[in-house]
Amino acid sequence: MTPDFIYIFAGAGLVGLAMYRLATRRDMLLRVLALNFLAIGVAMILQASAFGETLTDAVPQAFVLTGIVVLVGVTAALLALAEQIDGHDDE
Amino acid sequence: MSAVLYVIGLGLMTCGVVLLLIAALGVWSLPSAVSRLHALTKADSAGLSLIALGAACVNGRLDALLALVLCAVLVALSGATMGHLIARSHVSEDEPE
Amino acid sequence: MSMAFDILLALGIVFTAGTALGLRDRIASVTGFVITGLLIALSFVRLGAPDVALAEAAIGAGLTGALLLRSALRLKPAEGSKSPALQRFLAASIATGLSCALAWAVYTAPGTALYPALVSEGLAKSGVDNPVTAVLLNFRVWDTLLEIVVLFAALVLVRIIAPAVPQPEALGELMLPFMRVIIPVCVFLSGHLLWQGATVPGGAFQAGAMLAGGFLVLFMGGLALPTPRVMAFGKALALAGLAIFALAALATEALTGTLLFYPDGDEKIWIIAIESALTLSIAAMLYLLFCGMPRRPAK
Repeated sequence: MTPDFIYIFAGAGLVGLAMYRLATRRDMLLRVLALNFLAIGVAMILQASAFGETLTDAVPQAFVLTGIVVLVGVTAALLALAEQIDGHDDE
Repeated sequence: MSAVLYVIGLGLMTCGVVLLLIAALGVWSLPSAVSRLHALTKADSAGLSLIALGAACVNGRLDALLALVLCAVLVALSGATMGHLIARSHVSEDEPE
Repeated sequence: MSMAFDILLALGIVFTAGTALGLRDRIASVTGFVITGLLIALSFVRLGAPDVALAEAAIGAGLTGALLLRSALRLKPAEGSKSPALQRFLAASIATGLSCALAWAVYTAPGTALYPALVSEGLAKSGVDNPVTAVLLNFRVWDTLLEIVVLFAALVLVRIIAPAVPQPEALGELMLPFMRVIIPVCVFLSGHLLWQGATVPGGAFQAGAMLAGGFLVLFMGGLALPTPRVMAFGKALALAGLAIFALAALATEALTGTLLFYPDGDEKIWIIAIESALTLSIAAMLYLLFCGMPRRPAK
C-alpha cells in the first residue's frame, strides 16, 4: 500500500474542481485562481507518479519544478492582461 | 539518556500540537478579528516553538537543533510583525468611534 | 499508520481547494489558495521530493499568493450573475468525468520507469550529488534554458502592458526592525540554499525565490520602490541571467563540439556559475513581475 495513489486522486480532484469553476464563473481573478489550481493539480499527479519505494524518480521532479516556475510567470502575465482588460471596460 | 530525551521530545511536541489546536478553536469561535488575531499569534508561535524543541529532542543532533531554532525564531518574528500589521489596519478602520 | 496521515492530508487539500474556489470574498479565496499551496508542499515532502516542496512553498504558494493579492485589490469584481442550471450541470458532469478518467488512466498505466537507472548511472559523472540538480542543470539543461526564456517572455509581456505600480502604504514602526532582521537572513539563506543544492535538496530556483521574497519585503517597507535607477538595476540583473546562460551554452558548443555538453572534469564549476547567475536573475525577474514596469512618461 503505497501513498502515491492517494495523491493521484487528490490531484484529479483538484483538476475537476478547477475545471468546474473555470466553466461557471466570470470573475477574472477567480479564473486565474482556477487555472493555478488546474496546473498544480496536474503537477501533483505527475509527482505522485514519480514516487518510488526507495528512490524517487528525478526527471518528473525536474519537470514539476520547471512547471511551477513557468506557472508563476504565466500567472503574472495573465494578471497584467486582466488589469488591462479591466481598465478598458471603464472607458 | 537518548530514551529520556525521546520521551521529553514527544511530550513537548504533544503540548505544541495541543496549543495549535487551541489556536484553531480560537480562530473558529472568537467574535472579532482583533481577538482572533490575539489567539492566533500567541498560541501559534508558542505551539510551533514547542514542536520545534520537541523535534530537536527526538532527533538528538546539534545541526537539527540549530535549523529548527532558526525556523521557530523566523516564524515567531514574522508572526508578530504580521499580527501587528493586521491589527493596525483593523484598528484604523474603527477610527470614527 | 502513515496512510491515515496521507488520507487526511489529501482530503484537506481537496477541501481547502474547493472552499477557496467557492468563496465569494476574493481575498479569502486567495488566502485559501495559499493554504492549499502549503498543504501541497507538505504532500510533496510525503512523496519524497523535498526540492519540489521547497519550490512550491516559496514560489507556488508565496509569490503567486502575493501576485494574486495585489491584483485582488485592483480588479473590479464581476457582476454576480449565476450561470444557468443546465450549464452548471453540464460543467459538473464533464469535470467529474474528466477527473475520474485522468485518475484512472494514471493509476492503471503500465510500464516500468526508465529514468531512475539512467540518472543513477550518470550521477557520478555529472558533477553534483543531488539527482534533481543533476537533471535540471546537466542532463536536461536545455529545458532549464527554455524555462528562463519563458520567464523572460512573461517579463516582456508585462513590460508592454505596463500595469500600474502598487503603492505600499506606510506600515508603521515595527516594519523597519523586522526588515533589519529578515533581509540579511534572506540573503544568507538564499546563498546557503544555492550552495547546498549540489548535494542536498535546494538549488537555484528556491534560492532565487527566497531572494525575491527579500526584495518584496524591501518594497513593502518603502525602501525599494521602482524608481528608474532600481528599474534599470533590476532589468540588468534579469537580462544578465539569460545572457550568461546563453553565452555558457555557446561556449560549451565551442569547447566540446556539442551544445550544453560540459567539458570533462569541470562540470561542477559550470553548474555553480550558471546557478549563481540564475539565482540573481530569477530574483530580479520575480520582483519586476510583481512591481510592474512603468513606462517613462512620454515627453
